[in-house]
Amino acid sequence: MSRTTVHFILVMYLFVVWGAVIFRIDRFPITWVPMYSNYYPSETISAKVWDKEKIANGLLVTHQDGSTSYVSSKDLNIPQPNFRRLYYERMFGSGPPKHHQGNRNLSPLNRWIRGLKENEPNFQADWDWRMCWSVNQTLEYQPTDPKFIIGAEADYQVRVYRKQDIMNQDVSKVRIKTIHAKIQWKDEWLPRWEHGLL
Amino acid sequence: MAFSKSITRIWNQFFFTGFSGESLGLLRMYIGIGLLFFHTYQFATVLSLNPVGAMYYYIEPIWYFRVLGIQYHIPALSFVIYAILMWATVTMILGKWTKTSILAVILCIFYLKGVRDSFSGDVHHRYIIPMQILFLFLLSKCGEVHSRDATHLRSQGEVQEWEASWPIKTMQLYVASFYFWSVIAKVQLAGWVWFSGEGQIQENLIQRSVRWGVTDEGDVVKNSISFALAQHPDIIQVISLLVLAFELGFPLILLVKSVKLRALFLAWVTLFHISTFVLLDVNFLLIPFVYLIFFDLVPIHQWLKTRFSQLIRGRPSLAN
Repeated sequence: MSRTTVHFILVMYLFVVWGAVIFRIDRFPITWVPMYSNYYPSETISAKVWDKEKIANGLLVTHQDGSTSYVSSKDLNIPQPNFRRLYYERMFGSGPPKHHQGNRNLSPLNRWIRGLKENEPNFQADWDWRMCWSVNQTLEYQPTDPKFIIGAEADYQVRVYRKQDIMNQDVSKVRIKTIHAKIQWKDEWLPRWEHGLL
Repeated sequence: MAFSKSITRIWNQFFFTGFSGESLGLLRMYIGIGLLFFHTYQFATVLSLNPVGAMYYYIEPIWYFRVLGIQYHIPALSFVIYAILMWATVTMILGKWTKTSILAVILCIFYLKGVRDSFSGDVHHRYIIPMQILFLFLLSKCGEVHSRDATHLRSQGEVQEWEASWPIKTMQLYVASFYFWSVIAKVQLAGWVWFSGEGQIQENLIQRSVRWGVTDEGDVVKNSISFALAQHPDIIQVISLLVLAFELGFPLILLVKSVKLRALFLAWVTLFHISTFVLLDVNFLLIPFVYLIFFDLVPIHQWLKTRFSQLIRGRPSLAN
C-alpha cells in the first residue's frame, strides 16, 4: 500500500467516524453516543425493583383457548439480562437507550436528512405487536392454534425517592408504587404475521 | 501556503512516526490475547443458552440483521461461531494467515454481537473500540512481524516506520475521540446538568442499587456502597468533574511524550471503569486492555521475556 493510498484511507476514515458524530449515526461499528448519556432532570428518582421470583416465572400469558401459563427466559431460550429488558421495559412500551437518545434534541439538519416530519420521532416501535409476534413465533404458535398467546402481563414495584430527602440522607421517605402492564393481540396485525419485522 | 505546509508537517509527524514494525506485530499479539478474554466475557450470556433449545425471534434485529433478513436465532450456530472466533483470534495472535484471521474475527463479532443485542434491542458499545482496532490491523502490515506469516515474507524487507505508525496512531486518535465525544453527547442530550452532583450519576447509583431489592428496613440488598454514595451529592459532584476532566482531556494524551504520565492517566481511566463496574454494573471492566495501543510494546515485551526466562532458569528441575 502506497503512502498516497494511506493518506486517502485516513481522510476517509476520519470523515466516516466524525460524520457519525455530526450526523448522529449510532450503527455498530460506528457511534456518536455512549449508552449512559441521556438524563432528564427531575425532583425525584424512580427506581425499579427486580423481583427474582417473577423473573424466574416469566410473563403471565393468556392463550386463545382461555388458559393461562408463564413464559420465561428458558422457554424463549434467551439470556436472563435480555429477558429482564423485555419484562421491565418492552412490556411497558419503553424502548432501548438507543431510541431515547436518537429521538432527543435532533437538530433541524439531522431531522431533514432523515426526512422526519414535525414531531415525528427518529425511532419508534410498536412493542406490543413485536412482543406478541416474537413470543408466539418462538414458541411456534400460529394465530389459528388454541395455544396462540393473545395476552401477556407483567408488573413491578417502583420506589420513588425525593432528591431533597436523599440529600438529607433520609431514604426512609419513599413512595412505593406497583406498575402493571397488559398487552393484547390485535387481529389487525394478522397481515404482518408472516413477514414479521422486515 | 505556509499554513498548509505546517498542517501537512503536523499530519505526517503525527500519523507516520513513532512506531516500528516490531511494535505493530507485538501490539497485534497482545491485543489478540486481551481479546480472548474479552470475547468470552462479552458473549458468556449467549453461551449459557441451550444449543438445541427454542429459536428466538428477535424483537429488534440489529441494522445489519435487518438488511440480511435475519429474524431469528439459531442457538447451535452461535456456539459454532464462538469456536471459530476463538480459533481465529489464536491464529491472529500467532500471525498465521493474519489478514484472513482478522477478517474472520471481525465477521464473528458482527454475528455474535448482532445476536446478543437483537434479543431485546439494546445495542451495547463495548465492541466499538476493539472493532476499530481490528479494522486498522486488517489494513496494516501487522502480520509481517512477529508472525508465522513473516517467515514466508522475508524477501519483502522490513516494515517501515510510517507503515507501522499510521494504524497505531489512528487507533490512538479513535480512542481519544471516543471519550471526547461522550462529553459532546452528554451535553447535547442532557446539558451540563448531567455532571451535577444531583445528575445522572446520582440517579444511576440509586437505580442500580435499588433494583436488586430492598429489605423491610429500607436497606438495599446489594450495592450498599452505591446507595450510600448517592446520598452525598457533594462527593458525586467531585467525581463528575473528574469524569468530565478525563473525558475532555483524553485527546491531550496524544501530545504526552512521557510514558509515566501516559501510564498514570490511563491508570486513572482504568480506575474509572473499575468504579463504574463496581458501583453501577457498567460492563466496560475489561476495555482497558485496549490502552496497550498507547505504548511501544518492544521494551515491555523484552522485559517480560527476560523475566520469563529467568523464572524458567531459576526453577529447580524435577530430577532434584
